[in-house]
Amino acid sequence: MTCGGRAPRDYSARIESNRLLGEKTGLLTVLCPAIAASAEPGQFVMVRPGGGDDPFLGRPLAVASVSHGTFTLGDELTVRGPIGQGFFSSREGLPLPEKVILAGGAVGAAPLLFALERLGGRAERTVMGVAGSGWEDFASWLMEVFPALELYSDDGTLGIKGTVLSGLPEELPGNTEVWACGPEGMLRALAAKYPSDGGRIRVALEARMACGMGGCLGCVIPTRSGQKRVCVDGPVFAASEVLWNEFPSR
Amino acid sequence: MNSRPADLSVSLGGLDLESPVIIASGVWPYESELWREDRLEGVGALCTKAVSLEARRGNDGMRVFETPCGMLNSIGLQNGGVRSFLKEYLPLVKGSNRPFLVNLVMESEGDVRANIALLRESSSSIPAIELNISCPNVDGDGMAWGMTPEGTAHATAIAREEWAGPLWVKLTPQAPDIAAVAKAAEQSGADALVCGNTWLGMAMDIRRKRPVFQRVVAGLSGPAVFPLALRTVWQAAGAVTIPVVGCGGIAGWEDGAAMILAGASALEIGSSLFTDFDLPRKITGGLRAWLAEEKEPSLAALVGRGRV
Ligand SMILES: Cc1cc2nc3c(=O)[nH]c(=O)nc-3n(C[C@H](O)[C@H](O)[C@H](O)COP(=O)(O)O)c2cc1C
Ligand code: FES
Repeated sequence: MTCGGRAPRDYSARIESNRLLGEKTGLLTVLCPAIAASAEPGQFVMVRPGGGDDPFLGRPLAVASVSHGTFTLGDELTVRGPIGQGFFSSREGLPLPEKVILAGGAVGAAPLLFALERLGGRAERTVMGVAGSGWEDFASWLMEVFPALELYSDDGTLGIKGTVLSGLPEELPGNTEVWACGPEGMLRALAAKYPSDGGRIRVALEARMACGMGGCLGCVIPTRSGQKRVCVDGPVFAASEVLWNEFPSR
Repeated sequence: MNSRPADLSVSLGGLDLESPVIIASGVWPYESELWREDRLEGVGALCTKAVSLEARRGNDGMRVFETPCGMLNSIGLQNGGVRSFLKEYLPLVKGSNRPFLVNLVMESEGDVRANIALLRESSSSIPAIELNISCPNVDGDGMAWGMTPEGTAHATAIAREEWAGPLWVKLTPQAPDIAAVAKAAEQSGADALVCGNTWLGMAMDIRRKRPVFQRVVAGLSGPAVFPLALRTVWQAAGAVTIPVVGCGGIAGWEDGAAMILAGASALEIGSSLFTDFDLPRKITGGLRAWLAEEKEPSLAALVGRGRV
């Protein structure tokens, strides 16, 4: 569990830097010590410009890393967080596996970077996938931050041609888990690849969200233990918990 | 000079509130941490999520969608049913040490009577019911109960027969004649009116070339609807003598002040809590400063002051 329970709080924060990694992708550095102190990998924050009604709702952004920084002037934001059950707290006491394979699709790499940090830099393998052309800046960021990165792209222009899944072993070795984040299709395929090992596949899901505090019920998904909210009951779930076939099309 | 802090307490519809700010139905989760004192500063009362007789899964497909200065929702009243509410959530809600209203789904007559009968068994710990009449009358024409004065009167009368305690009726703004439905609810025994629920809207998915929501239409809320909600409060307050509660798009103390001047005795806030947990404290702080500036001793004295 994170300290202070699981309900997030709202903070004002400032943008420290905003590095564009493609047309629609960027790495936002935000100074918010309270969240930095308590966030864990897999958790996320809801970010919106401070003041004003438009845009009205926050944007869910995964926490890629936390560090302590100095105060610099920048745009003011409100940040709600940290939100949800991450790769560690979602285990509910289940011991950590000996080996973790990190599997990320596109911007799903972000929470895995934080996970790698908390694993003391020890990942069995780090397999990431991007579409290809247009993702050059993002791919170079991935190579910068992930040592021993195995990069795949759909069109073969970056790294090896193929999907993240094609880079993963046919059978999951003992005492190994896959921690994954990426588009729904990728996570669904991942669950299907290891049908009898879903308990060892931990996925960080994305969803349309309005509140990021469990209130609106806009982000619910079907699971073996009933309807669950991606924001606060997740976003990290065991793949075996999720009823992929009853997933709402959104 | 009167240096006492301005009095924000209000009494309406059978409830005494220390603050006029009420959390609207359907937005506050049953997360124990969020029902503690330190997370409810400025909150005078809370409405529970919808409570229906049986559990409801809610709607499939997209459920929330952002719009300019607001949002659409198609949650579909997902809840575990009244028995689960009484067992799992009532103790938590009571622990907030504030009055609360059980938001009751106006289903079929039989279901509503059965629902209230179960609530009655715990009536000593339930301060009030807020009846949501924006739901379709499945035994009747399938239109929302609250669309017509007749439907509104019928729904209110059913709940009134079953529930002796405070009964607030939450109107639907889709009713073509707000004054007439407000009067109908008053005459059938409502203790207060809430104006009101979400506004019917829709969104189009221009890539998939079909409506975003499976049910096509969805409820619009947030600052975008504030001027509309203010107008319905004005109309309802002009038509009845029971208290009216303003609800729709309130996002700051100025909106609250406008609602009060238009005739609202209290305020419900919904969607804006999605962007700011601290809104109730900010609104009460702003209202207090406003009263001090205007040299007004109490908020209650300003209710309807803006009516011309
Ligand atoms: C996600 C969501 C769920 C809601 N659920 C309910 C409900 O269960 N019962 C009800 O009477 N109103 C419900 N409402 C309506 C709100 O209580 C409120 O009347 C409306 O949103 C307008 O206020 P606002 O603009 O401050 O949000 C819901 C609104 C939202 C946004
Ligand atoms: S985003 Fe509102 S409940 Fe998850």
